[in-house]
Amino acid sequence: MRKYFRVWWKMSSMSLMAQISHPLGSLGFLLGKIVRVVFFFAFIIAIFQHVKSLAGYSLEETALFFLTFNIVDISAQILFRGIYNARRAVTEGDFDFYLIQPCSALFRLSLTTFDFLDALTLLPVLWVTLEILHHLSPSAFSLHSFLYFLLTINAVAIASSFHIFVAGLAVRTQELENTIWIYRDIMFMGRFPSGVYGPMFQFFLTFIIPIAVMTTFPVRAFLGLLSWKWMAYSFFLSTMLLGLSFWFWEKSVRQYTSSSS
Amino acid sequence: MKKYLRAYLISLQETLQRRSSLVMDRLGGVAVMLSLYYFWKTLLSGRPAFLGYSYPQMLTYVLGMNILRSFALTGRGWELVGEISSGKISSYLVRPLNYHGYALALDLSQKTVHLFAALLEIGALLIFFHPPFYLQKSVAAMSLFIGSLLMASLLFFFLEFLVSSLAFWTSESGGPLFFFELFIQFAAGAFFPLDVLPRLLQKGLSLSPFPYLVFLPINIYLGRVGQGRALQDLLISFVWTVVFAAASLHVWRKGLASYSAEGG
Repeated sequence: MRKYFRVWWKMSSMSLMAQISHPLGSLGFLLGKIVRVVFFFAFIIAIFQHVKSLAGYSLEETALFFLTFNIVDISAQILFRGIYNARRAVTEGDFDFYLIQPCSALFRLSLTTFDFLDALTLLPVLWVTLEILHHLSPSAFSLHSFLYFLLTINAVAIASSFHIFVAGLAVRTQELENTIWIYRDIMFMGRFPSGVYGPMFQFFLTFIIPIAVMTTFPVRAFLGLLSWKWMAYSFFLSTMLLGLSFWFWEKSVRQYTSSSS
Repeated sequence: MKKYLRAYLISLQETLQRRSSLVMDRLGGVAVMLSLYYFWKTLLSGRPAFLGYSYPQMLTYVLGMNILRSFALTGRGWELVGEISSGKISSYLVRPLNYHGYALALDLSQKTVHLFAALLEIGALLIFFHPPFYLQKSVAAMSLFIGSLLMASLLFFFLEFLVSSLAFWTSESGGPLFFFELFIQFAAGAFFPLDVLPRLLQKGLSLSPFPYLVFLPINIYLGRVGQGRALQDLLISFVWTVVFAAASLHVWRKGLASYSAEGG
């Protein structure tokens, strides 16, 4: 574990230095990420100047859905930024070197490119989320707060399983961009509570591509609107998806025959 | 003119050839369209109107956004940045063609494909979900809408060209382009109508070229802008286009003067 932390620390420091050495590029990416969060947040606030509720939720509750989506989405991007370079690592032969290094190739491929720009974007999101949570439930250590925290971690676990699956696909087929963008595109639907969508899409977002489980369930649990049955489903789903994604990754690596020269 | 037409046709074939990339591009647009469609549908249920938009008008705004995103806000900014940074641009400079004209031909081919894809998506949505659709029957309003659509497309082309030309001076132009692309989607009204925003912000944006990219064309289609006002806005949009075309050409010439490349 200590070895992994040291490798992660070293590689993350290098990522930070790379981002600092490109100040204009980094500033542009950071501003873009901030604009995306701030404008949508402003949109939600502006909407509530004219209406009292959306799908039965108040302004704070709707904002909490949006912020939870951002926490899950940004966390997954911070942790798995390396996945976006997986195809290049495979086709250019870097992955072959990862395989002979004395640490997990999945760890080396996906977790060692820490994105500090995403981390900077996440900080204000977390701060506003905590403010809203406190406003909605002044008791910081209530059961509902704990469930929110647990289900948000669970959501990041589900997002991780998607990323691991994509990494396996990159190793197996040298195809990546499309798959990761399908996930990112459909994730857009997680910005609003799943109650907004019709029954067909709610089913799709709960059982087929479980965006609702990742972004709506934690808030519903915090508001006391999620039954134990759905919580159990949420934890079962993450366990199953993580298991399947690790199995797929192992299988992909076993079949890997090196694709570079 | 013939060579630009040829470039347009070849690029059209190339875009259609890369079908999986096209489908993925479109999937993003469909996800945005469906999300916002359901968002507004829920918000307007039980309300006759919101901020002056009737129920059919608001849902038509969402569908119209898909067309405007596909035709006006689609561009080749990242390709241009890549071509300048990698030095590939050199191969175009020695050819007997105007790069702006060539880029415009390629841009138009992408827009053509995306426009047809957007129309198909909207058709599918109309068939499967039967949303109330605001059909503009006035020939004059439709002509003004098409005019504003073409102007928006040209304006975005020059705006994006200007930002992408930063690549002549820095290898970090990807960051500013990323910011530009995200900012413009919000400032143009490609996620929500600008009327939703606070009045001060609306006023600030109305002094910029951004609302002419999405917000204005859709409002002309919806008949929310009188014909006299629409003509006036179209003229302002034309002035913005000329200003940014001149700026883009000027920056391009300056960039070429400072550009150097080695190797073949």
